[in-house]
Amino acid sequence: MTASVVERFYFEDVVLHGVLETPGITLTQAHVMLYAGLGGEPPGDPESIPDLLPLFLSTGLGWRVPQPPLAVLAFLGLEWNVIRPARVGDTIHSRSRTVVKRAMREGGVVIEEREMIDQRGETLQRGRFTFLVARREATPSIPGRGSDVVNG
Amino acid sequence: MAPARRYWDEIEVGEEYESPGRTVTEADIVLFAGLSGDYNQLHTDAEFMKGSIFGERIAHGLLGLAIQSGLLTRAMAPYATIAFGALRWKFKAPIKIGDTIHVRARVLTKKETKVDRGLVTLERTVLNQRGEIVQQGETDLIVERRPGGADGGSRRPSA
Repeated sequence: MTASVVERFYFEDVVLHGVLETPGITLTQAHVMLYAGLGGEPPGDPESIPDLLPLFLSTGLGWRVPQPPLAVLAFLGLEWNVIRPARVGDTIHSRSRTVVKRAMREGGVVIEEREMIDQRGETLQRGRFTFLVARREATPSIPGRGSDVVNG
Repeated sequence: MAPARRYWDEIEVGEEYESPGRTVTEADIVLFAGLSGDYNQLHTDAEFMKGSIFGERIAHGLLGLAIQSGLLTRAMAPYATIAFGALRWKFKAPIKIGDTIHVRARVLTKKETKVDRGLVTLERTVLNQRGEIVQQGETDLIVERRPGGADGGSRRPSA
């Protein structure tokens, strides 16, 4: 019997153009105060959400979907645009789509386009995340198959 | 009294800022996991990470981004920022528990966008106690222009 199996979503499991939509989170003053303490930035207007806070919440939202977490080896980079401000009381969620899946010797690169959307369906922030993702170690390499480059 | 906010017109390309350092602690990582909900094993599972290439837990990349943002506000007079525009960022090396990071920034470009505002692009480099670059990128800030041209004035400052 297996004591515990931590399920992970490996490079091979990533579906190119697959869309993942998360449940929402309501932005509160508690988020604003926690973030102010953690980042060390003095809070301004208590009703306004610091510009980067929705970005910081976006990564955790991805843990609330019925899919194991991506087996991230490293977070390589990020491009992000803030389109409109968020206020305390807004409920935001994220929608991500895999736009690039590129096999490497050690794992593979996955690029996700991600949007943060409010309760009115308006996009507040959007951008691209680049991750290095682990391959399923147990899988023996298939001779002659080479690298499974799906998209450059 | 809060320091005066600097208008777009007053900021010069090539200005440089260097922040004090901050030691990233286990508590910072736990708090960030709690705030973001990102409990990835990279950041929260010491036993699992013993067997990883890092050998120990590492800070969330976005925690480094949050910390440098706070550090930089301690190194410069605030801009009359209307909004954060965009970010282009690379995570180059891990930040480990006990590392002390600081940020160096430089005004890369300025661009007029509207009559009342302009864009300021800052290049930011986050370094650890060994002088290694851990994160690097650019941020575009939308900054208010001096009301009524060169004369100053007293428009309501925006958050």
